[in-house]
This record gives sequence, structure tokens and C-alpha cells, in this order.
Amino acid sequence: MLELTGVHTYYGHIHALKGVDVKVPEGEIVALIGGNGAGKTTTLRTISGMLRPRQGSVTMQGRDISGVPAHQILQMGMSHVPEGRRIFPQLTVRENLEIGAHTITDRRLIEERIQEGFTYFPRLKEREHQLGGTMSGGEQQMLAIARALMVNPKLLLLDEPSMGLSPLFVEAIFDIIVELNAKRGTTILLVEQNAQMALSVAKHAYVLQTGAVKLSGEAGAIAQDESVRKAYLGED
Amino acid sequence: MENLLTAILINGLLLGTLYAIIALGYTMVYGILQLINFAHSEVFLSGAVVAFEVFRLLGPAPDAPPGSGMNPYLVLVIALVVAMLVCGTLNVLIERLAYRPLRTAPKLVPLISAIGVSLILQDVIKFIEGTQGRFQLAVNVPTAFTQTVFSVADNNIKVRDLVLIVVAAVMLFGLDRLVNHSRVGRAIRAVAQDRVTAGLMGIDANRMIALTFAIGGALGGVGGVLFALKFPNLDPYSGTVPGIKAFSAAVLGGIGSIPGAVLGGLVLGLVENLLGVISSFSLIFPKLAFLGAIKAEYKDVGAFMALIIILIFKPSGLLGRSTTEKV
Ligand SMILES: Nc1ncnc2c1ncn2[C@@H]1O[C@H](COP(=O)(O)OP(=O)(O)OP(=O)(O)O)[C@@H](O)[C@H]1O
Ligand SMILES: [Mg+2]
Repeated sequence: MLELTGVHTYYGHIHALKGVDVKVPEGEIVALIGGNGAGKTTTLRTISGMLRPRQGSVTMQGRDISGVPAHQILQMGMSHVPEGRRIFPQLTVRENLEIGAHTITDRRLIEERIQEGFTYFPRLKEREHQLGGTMSGGEQQMLAIARALMVNPKLLLLDEPSMGLSPLFVEAIFDIIVELNAKRGTTILLVEQNAQMALSVAKHAYVLQTGAVKLSGEAGAIAQDESVRKAYLGED
Repeated sequence: MENLLTAILINGLLLGTLYAIIALGYTMVYGILQLINFAHSEVFLSGAVVAFEVFRLLGPAPDAPPGSGMNPYLVLVIALVVAMLVCGTLNVLIERLAYRPLRTAPKLVPLISAIGVSLILQDVIKFIEGTQGRFQLAVNVPTAFTQTVFSVADNNIKVRDLVLIVVAAVMLFGLDRLVNHSRVGRAIRAVAQDRVTAGLMGIDANRMIALTFAIGGALGGVGGVLFALKFPNLDPYSGTVPGIKAFSAAVLGGIGSIPGAVLGGLVLGLVENLLGVISSFSLIFPKLAFLGAIKAEYKDVGAFMALIIILIFKPSGLLGRSTTEKV
């Protein structure tokens, strides 16, 4: 589905990704874990076209997409739930969802998808006409995911969906991730600080450290790895 | 006294409506780029020049008997449409050539560029319309627009005043539909709030920014035509003072806020007339005659003092959001 080969990405002079190789097979949940500043967010931004890799390639379903601007990549069936949710604060919940469907012109389809989003996240229906910026962190996360689902993506990029959420909310979000993958067959690349949760739902996992892949393999095996347990699972 | 108050109210509202239409151009561009488009005063003046040309070409000849020639309302509609097209296109070009290349530069740089564009446009207008180093355009306003329709407490309401109100109302209604109830309007608002994330939603931010300039420019063009009906004597600098006033109105209302620009325009128009009328006291108290002599200055100084006072108490403007809330 998605493949990164030798990807180097810079912020001006800052060399953030130093040759990253990642494979996301179709229909799988793949976890990307690593400490602060490891380059997880940068990897997702490079995939979705927010950043352009200086070297290496990003291919989706065999097509090279490195250098395609973000607003066009969406059309290829990829949605990116950005770090920090990035809800439009002055748009209502409904408008945020409609914006997620900006590339769709069929009004009936948009309405259908909004209702679908409401069945995944009933909380959003209750808040339909509330401004996005006035929602709680957890509600905003739900909205961000629902907004990304408006285009019914084949590939979903999630950047720390559990960030700042109470355990109950984290549970709910992860249930939905698993359900999306199982029922719709959505391929998911999941970036998480909550490594334990991420590894429990993923099939494969990558550990990123200072801009390079340090370890990769079956999620179960990664979870057993001594160094990972020490560094990311809070064990010693 | 009653006549005086009515005059303040009527003239204030008319002038304020004009400021509001022009202020929208400043506030919309600011809302999406956080840039003060200083060239807007010349974009607006271009609308007035378009009115001059259209009325010169299609309006009645000065010595023609009344009622002959093309219907003045049709001429007005043509002037409005041409002005919207010309000024909308002009504003889009300005953005493309003078602001977009500086998008990532520090905020002060595009501001300087904006002032530069403003000066260049003054010269371009002078070059196109001036003859032998002279520039004075007297708009050939059809007499149909200068006739009195009715009087309120001795104040004559002319056709052009009603035209101003009606056209402004139509524009505001259309703008509200477009910005708050359409797909592109939603996309424009999304880009204004978070350009990068709007990109992730499949929105081409550059197109929405260009569209915003087109809308702001078109409104400026309409403002220019209405201005030309009311103040038919134009020169290359005629845009400057109304431009500054309209910009102040936008700040007063809360820059970036569309209802704020409208409210700010109306308030500024009213305050300005209120203070201008102080000079009329000279008729009642001859000893205050000197006030009449400094009338124009008084008006502007007073208006800007009111602006400063309001901003001291409400720095984000009447309807503006405090900047800390801005994401
Ligand atoms: N906009 C930026 N400008 C400059 N440097 C940046 C920018 N964003 C990230 N970086 C740098 O790139 C590196 C990778 O950052 P990135 O945000 O990808 O890390 P991350 O793995 O997502 O971390 P976290 O878990 O804290 O979100 C860091 O060293 C960071 O300082
Ligand atoms: Mg991150």
C-alpha cells in the first residue's frame, strides 16, 4: 500500500529524517513508535505531502507521490489526522466534518458520511452546532478522526490519537481504530507515544530514533524487545 | 436641533455604509493573510475611475435633454459590473505579484510591498487618466441620481443615497451567503483559521487566497463606483483618505471580522459627522466661527481620536476576537 525508501526530510537546515524505510502493507495496522523528536510526525508529514523529501521516495499503491502537494494527495485515498488534532476552532462540528469532505461535491454522499461519523462518535452529534474550538480535547480527537473519515480513505495516518486523553477516551479511540481496520479494511499507520496500546493493536511496528528506523518487525516481537521495553514501555 | 441630528444620522449612515463596503476588502485580506493591503485604497479608486469612464462613454451628454440616451440605471449596473471585474482582477494580480512571493518573509516585508503597490497604482492611474500632467476627473453623474426623492426634517435624500444603501445591502447579503453558507466560503474560513490543515482537507490554499482578494477587490470596486456618485471630483490621491478611514473602520470593528467591518464603518461614519457638525455651531454662535474654518480637519482628528479611545478600551476592536484566542 505505502512504501518509504531512504527518505530524507529537512526543516531548513535541520536534518529531521535520515534515510527512513517503512512499509505499510494493505489492510494492516502498522505502528510507528519512538521518543520525542524522533521524527514520527515528520514521517507522517512527508507521506501526506505537507513536507517534501529531499531524498528518497514515497510510493502509494506503486505510484510515486513524493512532491505531490498535500491538497492533491487526499484525492488518492489518504487521510492524515495531524498531531494536536488541528480542529478548525471557529467552524462548528458539522462544518469541520463538511470541510473534511471538501473534495466531495455530492451533497447526499456528504450527508451520508456525516451520519456515519455520528454513529461512530455519538458525542459529535450532540455537539453538532458547537464551535470546534470549544470542544474538549477528547471530543476534538474524535472530531479529527471523523473529519478524516469523511473521504472514506484507504489509508489513514494517525498522529498520537491518544495524546492528552483520559484512559476511557483512549480505550474508545483504539476500539474505533481496530473496528475501522477490521470492518472497512482501512490500512492504518499509527504514530503513538502510548507504545503499549499501539503495539497491542498493530501487526507490524517500527521504532524510530533520531530520524532513522532503529528497529522493525512483528509488533509482538517488538513489544518483547529488551531495549523497547526499557525505553518506551516504562519497564526496567 | 432636530434637523441637525437628522443630518448627522443620515450623512453618518451614508458615509458609514461606504466605509463599510471598502473596509470589507481590508478585513477579508487581513483575515486570511494577516496582511494589511495598503493598495486597497487604489483598488477602490480604480473602481471610481471605472465609473468615470463608463459614465463618460455611456452616460448622457452634458447638453442632452433629460431622459435621452441609455437608461442611467443600466449604465450604473454596467459600471458596477465592470468595476467589480476590473478591481477583483487587479487585486488578484497584486496578490500574485507582490504578496505571494513574500509569503514566507517576515511580516513587515509584504507590508512594505503593499505600500509600494499603492504608490505604483497611484502613478499608473495618473498615467492612464491624466492629460498633460494634469489630473482632475469630474464624473459625469446622470442627473437622475442627483434628484431629491424625499426630505426628512429638511434633509434631502437623493436617488444616489438610496442607490448606495440598496447596492450595499445587496452586496452584504451576497457576501454573507458566499462566506457563511457556501462550500468555497467554508473553505476560505478554514484557510483563514489554519492554512496547513486546510491543505490536508484537499483545499488549495492559494486558490482560496486568490478568491479572497477577488472578492475584496470586487467590493472595493463597488465602493469606488458608489463613491464616485457621491463625490464626483477625483484625483489620483482620492483613494487615500477614504482608504485610511475604511481601514480604521476595519480595525475599529475588529480586523478580520466581517460584521466588525460593517459596524466599524457605520460607527466611524456617524462619529465623523457628529464631530463635523460641531463646526455648524458657528452659525448659532458667531464667536465660534473659526470652527467652521477647520471643519474638515476637525472631522478627521475627531474620528481618529474616537478610534484610539475605543481601541484603548477594546484593543481587539468592537467585534474582534482577542488575539490570544487566535490559533
Ligand atoms: N517545524 C519545524 N521546524 C524545525 N524543526 C522541526 C520542525 N518540526 C520538527 N522539527 C524537528 O525535527 C525533529 C523531528 O520532529 P518530529 O516532530 O517529527 O518528532 P516526533 O517524533 O513527532 O516527536 P513527538 O513525539 O515529540 O511529537 C525534531 O528534532 C524537531 O525539533
Ligand atoms: Mg510528533
